[in-house]
Amino acid sequence: MLKIYNICKSFNDVKVLEDISFDIKKSGILGLAGPSGCGKSTLLRCIQKLESFDKGTMECNGRVCFMFQDFQLFPHMTVLQNLTYAPDLKDRDKKEEHKNQAESILKNLGIGSKAEKYPVALSGGQKQRVALARSLITNPDILLCDEPTSGLDVSTTMDVVSLLKSVNEQFGVTMIIASHDLDFLTKISDRIILLKNGTIAVDVDPRQCDDPVNYLKKYY
Amino acid sequence: MNESNSIISDFFRIGGGLPFTLALAIGGILIGIFLGALLAVLRYNGIGRWMINGIVSFLRGTPFVLQLTFIYFVMPKFGLKLNVLWAGILAFGINSSAYVAEIFRAGIENLPKGQFEAAKTLEIPRFYMWKDIILPQVTMNILPILLNEMIDIIKMTAVIPMIGGIEIMRKAQMVSLIRCDYFLPLCMAATYYYGLVLLIEFIGKKIEKRKLYAKNL
Repeated sequence: MLKIYNICKSFNDVKVLEDISFDIKKSGILGLAGPSGCGKSTLLRCIQKLESFDKGTMECNGRVCFMFQDFQLFPHMTVLQNLTYAPDLKDRDKKEEHKNQAESILKNLGIGSKAEKYPVALSGGQKQRVALARSLITNPDILLCDEPTSGLDVSTTMDVVSLLKSVNEQFGVTMIIASHDLDFLTKISDRIILLKNGTIAVDVDPRQCDDPVNYLKKYY
Repeated sequence: MNESNSIISDFFRIGGGLPFTLALAIGGILIGIFLGALLAVLRYNGIGRWMINGIVSFLRGTPFVLQLTFIYFVMPKFGLKLNVLWAGILAFGINSSAYVAEIFRAGIENLPKGQFEAAKTLEIPRFYMWKDIILPQVTMNILPILLNEMIDIIKMTAVIPMIGGIEIMRKAQMVSLIRCDYFLPLCMAATYYYGLVLLIEFIGKKIEKRKLYAKNL
């Protein structure tokens, strides 16, 4: 579904990504682990084409959507407008269909009652669900999530794990999740790539390890 | 006619300049906001950046009176002959656009970069991104500064008599000559100007309140 070959990226002569190569198959959840500044977010941004890479190639069969760390909801639009604005622009004849679809996704994610609220009136967790819903309504094949649990406590992190897992199963969306939280990643991913200093330090299936967190920590 | 009747009729006589003042201010600010936003967006996208920088710098670096007299007295030589009202509106609009462009620039630069990126990831075309995502947010954020610009324009309309326009200030001067007294006519003119400024502040606060209300629904 996504193949990446020898991607390199530098910012002002500082190498951020060096010879990154991997491919992912449909419907899996890939975790991108690594300490802050190791290039996780840059890699996601390159896949989404928010950044260009200096070298390498990328083949992608499908639509990619990005969920930002700080959600980036449009603050002057209601939750429903946040979801339907882009699809309505693409197909103006299907506004009613988009509205129904948006309401159904919101309901699925447990925030059906928030459709007419503005983002400022929502909690962090609710904003995250809206951001997720806004990505899902575009029918993405691959969903990129940048640090979805940053700043969350343990119980909310567990909520995010079950939320993303259910979205993965329900919508069949392939996910690439960047996070520095190894505990979170080992719970949610079926494959983890750990980046260190811009290169792949280890590529592992956490389900095959007895203690995946400690195993990955060795490479930190 | 007793003195109090005379004061009231003079007050309304000066108020006769109000429609002219309002037309200048409203026309000027509308053109200023439209052109200013356009210049800011074009410059942000790197279109004609050097030329726009030059225009903005020149307009901010030369006196408004010079620009006004240039438009009214010189432009007819180049085929653009305007009456006093339209020359005034155009001068205010063009002059204001330079300041408004700078206000919009600051507003755009202060908006999180993620808003542009979110629009891009949702494949929103650039025109709609600017029209429906970026500019509405920027406009609400810079509203207090835009209101200041409007207030400045209202006060600047007092220079229009230089090219023969008869607005509040000119009316006050005319009444002063009849009364052989400047005190009362100038106080009356000040009342009109100050009233307009208070009205703009009131409308601005209403809009801000509505924005806060909408956000907290």
